[in-house]
Amino acid sequence: MADLRTAGPAGATDQGVAADAGGTRDGRFARVLITTGAAILTVVVVAAVFAPLLSSWGETVIDPASTLAAPGGGHLLGTDGNGMDIWSRVLYAARLDLGIAVAAVALAVVAGTLLGLVAGYRGGWLDDVLMRVVDIFQAFPTFILALAVAALLGNGTLNLVLTIAAVNAPAYARLVRAEVRTLRELPFVDAAVTSGASTAGILWRHLLPNSLTPVRVIAPLNCGWAMLTLAGLSFLGLGVSIPAAEWGAMISLGAADVVGGRWWTSVPPGLALLVCVLGFSLLGEGLQERADAKRR
Amino acid sequence: MRILRFVVRRLLQLIPVLLGVVVLTFLLVRVLPGDPVRTILGQNATEADAAAARARFGLDQPLWRQFLDYLRGLVTGDFGTSIQSGGSVGAEMALRVGPTLELVVIAVTIALVAATVLGVWSARRANRPGDHGIRVLALIGNSVPDFWLGLVLVLVGYSVLGWFPAPSGRVDPDTNLTPLTGADLIDAVLTGNGPAIASAAAYLVLPVLTLVVGVVAPLLRSVRASALEVLRSEPYAAAEAHGLPRRTLLYGYLLRATLVRLPSLAALVFGTAIGSTVLVEYVYSWQGFGQWALRGLLYRDYPVVQASVLMIALCYVVVFLVADVVHAILDPRVRI
Amino acid sequence: MLSIENLSVVIRRPGRQVAALNDITFAVRPGEVVGLVGESGGGKSMVARAIVGLLPDGSHATGRVVFDDADVLGMDEVALAAHRGRGVAICFQNPRGALSPTRTVGRQLVDRLVTHQNMPVDRAREAARELFEAVGIRSPQRRLDAYPHELSGGMAQRVMISLATGCAPGLLIADEPTTGLDVTLTREILRQFRHAADTDGRGVLLISHDLASIAEVCDRVVVLYAGTVVESGPAAQVLREPAHPYTRALLRSVPDVGGRPVVATAGAMPLLTRAPQNCPFVARCGHADDTCAARRPTTEPLAGGPDGWSLACFHPQAGPIGAEPEPVRAIPAADPAVGPQAKSTVLEIDDAHVVYRSRFGSGGHHALRGVSLRVAAGETLGVVGESGCGKSTLAKLVMGLVSPTSGAVTVAGHSLVRQPGRAHLRGRALRQARTRAQLVFQDPIGSLSPRRTVADSIAEPLRAAGLSAAERAARVAAVLDRMELDRSILQRYPHELSGGQAQRVGIARALVGEPDLIVFDEPTSALDVTVQAQILTVISEVTADKDRAAVFISHDLATVRGFADRVVVLYLGRIVEEGPVDVVFDHPRHPYTMALLASAPRLGGGTGAGGDAVELVKDLEEADATTGCPLAARCPFVTDTCRTQQQHLQPYGASRAACWRAPELAALTGKQATTP
Repeated sequence: MADLRTAGPAGATDQGVAADAGGTRDGRFARVLITTGAAILTVVVVAAVFAPLLSSWGETVIDPASTLAAPGGGHLLGTDGNGMDIWSRVLYAARLDLGIAVAAVALAVVAGTLLGLVAGYRGGWLDDVLMRVVDIFQAFPTFILALAVAALLGNGTLNLVLTIAAVNAPAYARLVRAEVRTLRELPFVDAAVTSGASTAGILWRHLLPNSLTPVRVIAPLNCGWAMLTLAGLSFLGLGVSIPAAEWGAMISLGAADVVGGRWWTSVPPGLALLVCVLGFSLLGEGLQERADAKRR
Repeated sequence: MRILRFVVRRLLQLIPVLLGVVVLTFLLVRVLPGDPVRTILGQNATEADAAAARARFGLDQPLWRQFLDYLRGLVTGDFGTSIQSGGSVGAEMALRVGPTLELVVIAVTIALVAATVLGVWSARRANRPGDHGIRVLALIGNSVPDFWLGLVLVLVGYSVLGWFPAPSGRVDPDTNLTPLTGADLIDAVLTGNGPAIASAAAYLVLPVLTLVVGVVAPLLRSVRASALEVLRSEPYAAAEAHGLPRRTLLYGYLLRATLVRLPSLAALVFGTAIGSTVLVEYVYSWQGFGQWALRGLLYRDYPVVQASVLMIALCYVVVFLVADVVHAILDPRVRI
Repeated sequence: MLSIENLSVVIRRPGRQVAALNDITFAVRPGEVVGLVGESGGGKSMVARAIVGLLPDGSHATGRVVFDDADVLGMDEVALAAHRGRGVAICFQNPRGALSPTRTVGRQLVDRLVTHQNMPVDRAREAARELFEAVGIRSPQRRLDAYPHELSGGMAQRVMISLATGCAPGLLIADEPTTGLDVTLTREILRQFRHAADTDGRGVLLISHDLASIAEVCDRVVVLYAGTVVESGPAAQVLREPAHPYTRALLRSVPDVGGRPVVATAGAMPLLTRAPQNCPFVARCGHADDTCAARRPTTEPLAGGPDGWSLACFHPQAGPIGAEPEPVRAIPAADPAVGPQAKSTVLEIDDAHVVYRSRFGSGGHHALRGVSLRVAAGETLGVVGESGCGKSTLAKLVMGLVSPTSGAVTVAGHSLVRQPGRAHLRGRALRQARTRAQLVFQDPIGSLSPRRTVADSIAEPLRAAGLSAAERAARVAAVLDRMELDRSILQRYPHELSGGQAQRVGIARALVGEPDLIVFDEPTSALDVTVQAQILTVISEVTADKDRAAVFISHDLATVRGFADRVVVLYLGRIVEEGPVDVVFDHPRHPYTMALLASAPRLGGGTGAGGDAVELVKDLEEADATTGCPLAARCPFVTDTCRTQQQHLQPYGASRAACWRAPELAALTGKQATTP
């Protein structure tokens, strides 16, 4: 029961003759999606890396003269209730948000893939036990699970990476396992067995490369979801906490200002988050489209 | 009759999962850092006070003992006593479930209808401008942080336009609504309280809209993909080549084959919506189940966390069971 | 009724262009069955698509497709909608996949009847039942409410035919209607189309890759090659004395149950990017000269031939095929002098049973029921039977991919899996022992790891032997030469290979470790006809090796006859007959073998056993398991003894058969039994 945001149409394997997807109409749309997504993400990475050059105030520098100042003047997007510059913080926040999300997804992919690979190929009790554990994990909506685990682990950066990875890994385990179970029945695996290949050889040389196709498509979408989760946790006070710059935490700080019509404390960080997640979504959708086109 | 057997078998299969969930929630809560007793009693309490408090909540017992007590409580429907409020967890929960379910059910229903209509529409115009537009909108909807969207809606709908009530509570207290189910709109309708109906509906608009946007996007993408798969499938091409009229193709060959996948998608989306309500209720001070569970988590209120997490899991699992059954009814290929 | 005039279709996609059809001209008249024959890539399906106005995106069609005085290519959406179904209805290949899975087959038929015959629904349901009955569906009332996944392959094909005829079309198109069906069913299905033409006066266009199998029911045939019509004419004459070199090559590529050798034609069909300026067959033709290379032959009536026989060739051939001197090497028919007696036994199976247990609950599928056989070095054993008879399980059993539930299997003296009461190898020793037996798969591309290069795939068995990379490369290069594959193929991936190339790679992988036993599991059934012949040539060379044993599994009796020494006939997991290949094929003892032979097509019309053919009474899927002879439910000679008791293999001359009535069968079928 993976979060739907990460689950594309299942089982995209690009075997068979690759269609010439590049030129057809959906091929063009896929390219537009991928290019736009990649461009957005490049901009975000550049903003994160060059944040000190692009902003005049630091990440946590307080300007005591102006708290809750409206945009304009010395502060491009105004200041928050602590007197910190919003524009600077929006840029700096990309570092934590991107870093935690990408690291968490990478960890989830590695752990989930390994588990799924072994369980799917070995079958038997190992598979049964592992899948029951995955079942139990997936009996919770992912965000609820993330809340509980975050509360359990506490809110250091590493803990947040672990939390988001732990919540996502079961979905990858299930995905790869399903893929392996399909692949396992194909003749090329029998061919490897009768050619005297060892189990490790079959897993590593034949099943792993072939089962990664759907993972490649879903991982970018998942990165976007991980950022939303991280921001959600911070918004509720279970993630990154102020004064560190993180979009969710910034929105949380500005939440109360909204009723009074002071939009600049919460709208800019939310927009930044939206655009960044959209970058991942566009990339993932494009890859999905391309994989589908290949399959036809 | 066969459906009934199928349901019973799936229920039996749920038992190990539910047991696992119970154990997991119990352990999860026990390893949470932070001492709830200290949190409640404050800094000035003596060690003796703390020990007395621990004894009162049964926290001085060995772990297995606590687990057995907890299990016994669950069987008899007793979820324990809240450490924070001192009230019965079961009673508090009963009060909170109604408002949240009202929110989630309305949002998921709207999302399902919208996603099906738009998804099929989009698939039938695959790779034309209308389809591209819908897909980009869906991707944006998929990328919006729902809590932020809630804030923006408050900003626009309340602060700027003033069309909707302030984001606190679910109904105007002046309407003197008598609570029955906890779901205010339903209560208002049941009691025939006209002003309350209007007020409850007005309060519902923004939070429901927030939830719908977050939920409709992924659902729409899946329905579109599923419909597209059917449209490009051999059976559909065969029916088309045999010259069947558009109406027959749409209702007989496209819709049902597409909707076969919808139940499990709907269940998945239900879970997403439950997760989102925690955030959305917080934004709108909805005072529902999500906010109650969140507070329990933040204050390390063991019984509340246990009960709420267990409740959510149970709800989710049951929704999936229902989805499976509906799927089995819709799809003749499922062996039941 | 249908008249196609100079139809050309070019498919343009950015970066490539395919001339799918070039100047196609032919016609179908009411009540006539026309066969459209050719290999994949020849343009058969494109013709069908053009006729129903469903050309793929990016197609540009020129010429005319006239149906009942209207040009399909010029029709608008409304006209097309009326044309599809009512004018032309297609029976799709793979009928089970082409039926909507979530609608009952009865409902799907009613949809067609209501749409095209304007029937009210209740009347349509009655008509649907009658149609089901007419296409040979038993208990049609019950089947109306069935979903496609509940039907067997043969049943699904019948439903598909009923759907197409339910549209009451003027023209019925059947796209490879017998693919995947067993020989016994094939004839029955083909008869349905003849029936549609004879009784309802429909035109029928039968599309097939196999000229011999459809010729029997066709009035005329049209042979396609590389998107051009190379020959068309009366079916019987074209089949007997084809005039175009390609038609002759096509027919010579098909093995024949009579034991006629297969002749392979080198090369492959070209993929044209624009209309050809010369004869498209020129590169593969034994009669080609400068004229053929310079100009494209026009379609002319055959001089001295019957009416309507025309071809596009500068050098028309005459006479029955096989009469001319064969310029290309032929597969030698198996040499029966090489007996298995003196050689060492490589494969030994002793009373093996295989039961696939269902995961939950009791029961399961009994795939093999007490099979015993041995194969000696230098010997080739043929295994034949319909799908579901246990052929593939036998292959897996031999390879150690499934364990026998009881009984024993040894390959070169080793047991490859855990077997009751026997020692078995482990670890490295087991993996090396496994490489002593190699399997060549039915699906050549699927048997290669999609993300591994060809070089990697071929070298796989050598890894287990622990050879160094250099040694592996040398051995791979050597075997590549033997398979006549270019070195450049080594760095390619499976999806970049053609079926024929992939199967050569598969055989190379099987050979590279010099195994004691090679099992061929339907190695050519997924390939095109002329490619099949090429692969069969390769296999015949491999099986001629005197130190190696081979097992050749096929549903196609003719192929097996080509190079097996002995043959085993499997039915529902049991061996019903075995013996030297010529004895079994020429003097079958078991009714099942007789039925199989009877339904196998033969060149020159007719089938294996002539007029006194034995026909089984039901489809395989409908035969219930009984305690007695497994064939009892389908056998026309069944007695009470057959129904209650099972006969074991009994010797009759050189062969053995398991049939109570074997001694009297010769008299019953009216055929002279000569004991060799």
